[in-house]
Amino acid sequence: MQQILCQQAAEGMVLAKDVQTPEGRTLCGKSTPLTEAMIGRFIKMEISHIAVEGHPVKVAGEKSLKEELLDIEKRFSRVKHVPPLMFLKKRIMERMVESRKEQEG
Amino acid sequence: MEKDNKAEFRRALREVKNLPTLPGIVAKLTRMADDPDTTTEQMGKVISKDHILAAKLLKLVNSAFYGFPQKISSLSSAIILLGFNVIKSLIISASIFELMESSDVELWEHSLGTAVAASILAKRLGIKDPEEVSTAGLIHDIGKVAVKMELPEQYDEILNTVEMKQISMAEAERLVLGLDHAEVGGWLAKGWFLPKKLVEPIACHHLPKKSKEEPLATAILHFSDVLIRGLGYGHGADIWVPPLSKVAWEELGLSAADLDEVLEEVEENLWDVKGFSLDIQAELENKSA
Repeated sequence: MQQILCQQAAEGMVLAKDVQTPEGRTLCGKSTPLTEAMIGRFIKMEISHIAVEGHPVKVAGEKSLKEELLDIEKRFSRVKHVPPLMFLKKRIMERMVESRKEQEG
Repeated sequence: MEKDNKAEFRRALREVKNLPTLPGIVAKLTRMADDPDTTTEQMGKVISKDHILAAKLLKLVNSAFYGFPQKISSLSSAIILLGFNVIKSLIISASIFELMESSDVELWEHSLGTAVAASILAKRLGIKDPEEVSTAGLIHDIGKVAVKMELPEQYDEILNTVEMKQISMAEAERLVLGLDHAEVGGWLAKGWFLPKKLVEPIACHHLPKKSKEEPLATAILHFSDVLIRGLGYGHGADIWVPPLSKVAWEELGLSAADLDEVLEEVEENLWDVKGFSLDIQAELENKSA
């Protein structure tokens, strides 16, 4: 799942979450493939961002899985002696790996 | 000599001359809140006079960290639902963020993330008025903004010290100023007459064992800060996960299974907040374009 601005949306991307109006009314359900008309309508209704499946928009400077894992390792490098934080690190890493698998799949 | 300097820094930070706009409206609203004849509608009206502030407030109120099922469209219902202390803190954070502008989107993101985590933990641990604890999350690093605004030279020195000595921001602040941003944030919150439930967690978020009256709220804020650092969601000059206070960890009493559930919920909610900060970035880009 990737969170993108409506301006970054393109036809064929698939919604990963319901799109709601600022008032909380559902405009479009998740799993719906986007069309140009829908994107135009979202922008008109001042919906700023949507969540889409996969990872279709390349963000400049975005990190690879390996880089992300190295970053996590570095962030936790000063608290290696703290068991709850080592557990937290392990779970954050596992979740990162899982989320990247989803994106590739 | 050094001691004199430190007294000088202390004085400058206590006075905070460079944090403008908020005292006027905050003072007025505080007077109104103390007057039993004031209605929430009247207070809402005072805020709405400042259109930009009103819009920002409603945006914050409707963001993921409070998690109300329906959109709150009026300031008076926001005051009823969240309470005056929360609204006051939101006015403060909306004004402060304006000062931070594009220079510190990272700190703003870190603050939003901490608010999300604090909200989830506060609700889970059954704390009374969880919104106050999440709001403490939103403004917990306000002392950093004050240091940056009031003592720009020393602020640069702190950043250099972080880089050179590879230490945390709070450690560098203690070296350069003789005090850290948590202490400064505590003074500010106290000066704005925010309740203990907000003041103590802010003042003690790096040293929770100093918290006397609000140990649970402080422990929640401390761990939320650690957790968000761990997730790498918005960070400052130093990227490291800060040390975990044993006192705070025991106060929370979280099991491994609890932690898994909290992590899941926090990540889910961070998605929504991510959208929120994307909006802000887009606004800033539009402004500078």
